[in-house]
Amino acid sequence: MMTLIKERVPTPERPVEERLKGFMEVNLGYTFELAVKEAERCLQCSPAPCTQGCPVHIDVPGFIRKLRENRDNPEKAVKEALEVIWACNTLPAITGRVCPQEDQCEAVCVMGKVGEPINIGKLERFVADYAREKGIDEKLLQEITPKIEKKKEKVAVIGAGPAGLTCAAELAKEGYQVTIFEALHKPGGVLVYGIPEFRLPKETIEKELEKLKKLGVEIKTDYVVGRTITFDELLEEYDAVFIGTGAGTPKLLNIPGINLNGIYSANEFLTRVNLMKAYAFPEYETPIKVGKKVIVIGAGNTAMDAARTARRLGAEVTIAYRRGEEDVTARVEEVAHAKEEGVKFEFFLNPVEFIGDENGRVKAVKFEKMRPLEERDARGKRKLVPTGETAVLEADTVIIAIGKTTSKLLRMTLPQIEADEHGVIKVNENMMTNIPGVFAGGDAIRGEATVILAMGDGRKAAKGIKQYLEEKRKSS
Amino acid sequence: MNVCAEVFIVYEILEKREIAANNVLYKIHAPHIARKVQPGQFVVVRAFENGERIPLTPVMWDAEEGWITLVTFIRGRTTLRMNMELQEGDKILNIAGPLGNPAPMKKFGKILAIGMITGIVEVYPIAKAWQEIGNEVITLHIVPEPMIILKEDLEKAVSKHIVESFPLKEGMGMPEIFKELVTRGQAKVRELIEKEKPDLVFMVGPARGQKAIFDVVKEYGIPMEVDLHPIMVDGTGMCGACRVTVGGEVKFACVDGPSFNAYEVNWEELIARSEFYADLEKKALEDYLTKLQQGGAQ
Repeated sequence: MMTLIKERVPTPERPVEERLKGFMEVNLGYTFELAVKEAERCLQCSPAPCTQGCPVHIDVPGFIRKLRENRDNPEKAVKEALEVIWACNTLPAITGRVCPQEDQCEAVCVMGKVGEPINIGKLERFVADYAREKGIDEKLLQEITPKIEKKKEKVAVIGAGPAGLTCAAELAKEGYQVTIFEALHKPGGVLVYGIPEFRLPKETIEKELEKLKKLGVEIKTDYVVGRTITFDELLEEYDAVFIGTGAGTPKLLNIPGINLNGIYSANEFLTRVNLMKAYAFPEYETPIKVGKKVIVIGAGNTAMDAARTARRLGAEVTIAYRRGEEDVTARVEEVAHAKEEGVKFEFFLNPVEFIGDENGRVKAVKFEKMRPLEERDARGKRKLVPTGETAVLEADTVIIAIGKTTSKLLRMTLPQIEADEHGVIKVNENMMTNIPGVFAGGDAIRGEATVILAMGDGRKAAKGIKQYLEEKRKSS
Repeated sequence: MNVCAEVFIVYEILEKREIAANNVLYKIHAPHIARKVQPGQFVVVRAFENGERIPLTPVMWDAEEGWITLVTFIRGRTTLRMNMELQEGDKILNIAGPLGNPAPMKKFGKILAIGMITGIVEVYPIAKAWQEIGNEVITLHIVPEPMIILKEDLEKAVSKHIVESFPLKEGMGMPEIFKELVTRGQAKVRELIEKEKPDLVFMVGPARGQKAIFDVVKEYGIPMEVDLHPIMVDGTGMCGACRVTVGGEVKFACVDGPSFNAYEVNWEELIARSEFYADLEKKALEDYLTKLQQGGAQ
């Protein structure tokens, strides 16, 4: 008699002692055999809820089926699976790693009702990684690119993060001439400066970006739109513009002592470590200072990334969160990894002051203890009340990870774009802003959200741009 | 003009010269920056693959010919390494900019614009532009003698250019040099304020130097603007490394500045923050010097 396989096939991981020594990727991913075994658990639903749960609607059962059907021919299996994925997502090696699948495709997987959902993210990642190792993605690209019919319209994409990259890829596949303008020296946005190597190796991103270039996308780095080139110049030069500038400005706590030495925004801390490789100082020339005791304030994915990074730099790390454990917004997998790696958690602590020494360096954080109520706020979280009690925790480094807002520079240099009071850009159902031909997506229209939502927006905006350009062509 | 025409810009070093002791000028091909830069703005440079990003100020530029000049004061690993390893014809990896807000182009009247050591390179384009729109600009360069730069250029550009300099004596270390800069600078500024009665004082230099000069200016209650140089990483407002407290509020120097009202700046905080990495900066420099020595011994 057949038995239902309720548990997922586990993916191997590096042991804790080994991973704390460096920035090597923690999760090692599936082998072909393990991937096929996991693929076999899929029920092949039709219609498939997982596809609906995916913000870019990948045909999940479709790509899983390709793995199963070609179990005797790994190369063929992966090529066909990749083809299915690429129809909706050109950056699977990235999304397979950083998507919060438990809230998306895997959240609605039927298998999850009786056991563990299919490990869709790791299967997607397997397909992308295997394809890259064997040069299968290269072959597929060579088959696709000659079929693309070049169009004369030019599209400018502002920002080379997940939204911009996806929008650019989709438009390039349609034959449009796409140029991405990126302010930093490397494209990738949060993928390169924010998410650490141990979750998303930089090599993976570089390889995914090479693909974009082969599709004909041009990437101009060091281009700060609003400064190096004005928005009006872009409008003159290009037939359409996509704004994917993200939410890069860190929120800082407006409390005494915020500018003491040793207090970093998570963005600065992670940029120094990830983009500038300060962990390899002085071989890499950007310095970073991490003391013995680090407090990370916040409990989202950025906070976990910062805490785990600080652990790897040799510090004792405590995450201090003003809410409770059930309110933590980071991915389950990241919280588990952080705990395994020895990150401590303190809940219901709201920072009220940073205390410094005589040299202006932080030495402690003063918190007020909070108490949760049964009553919930608009986001479904328990409301908090201050108890009047305080707690002081020693720290020589503090990392603030309480969120980010839209780019300050963008707001200063692009006042003509309609946005709300937080600088979040307003778009219509086609992702078009108040200016015809100018589209936007990702964190620029959402505030801080996820990589895959940004990619979904980029994809949707590409469709909006295509429609807009086709109509424009007809009417001229 | 087709502003997006360049398919691929390489920041080629067209000219490199040591213009004074420890002061190196790089003339660099960067047409998109030359076209846009205004006095008061800066760029962020990354010269090497394993290098850091450092803010520098375009001193002169030509939009038609498409070049900018940058002057570095050799003060640590990156600026030394640039001097040792970059020659004419070489390329700089990345230059992002122009960044920051342009200096306000207003008629202030009589302006005393002060540059301490290499800070004068940032004063030059601003002072020149202020003079051109009808201000009477007096520039003051406080500097050890072997590091005098831009003297003739400033003499041509503004009403009056004064160099307050002193010879370097044997055995003078940075603390002694700095003390001399401050003592002489303060005395000269006091003298100039009494004599010229400026409507505005502007200064660029190390934070401690700016604070020392501000201490004199505030005795007279004259408005003073300073271009601040906190530590920067991206220079586009996404990290807050360059945050400063101005008028009790947290500002990011890279997007809100670099120019601020000297009376509103929290100087102690700025000085502490700009010296935070001093030990690691020394370590990085020593590491590089060791490499040079070993390389030389091969």
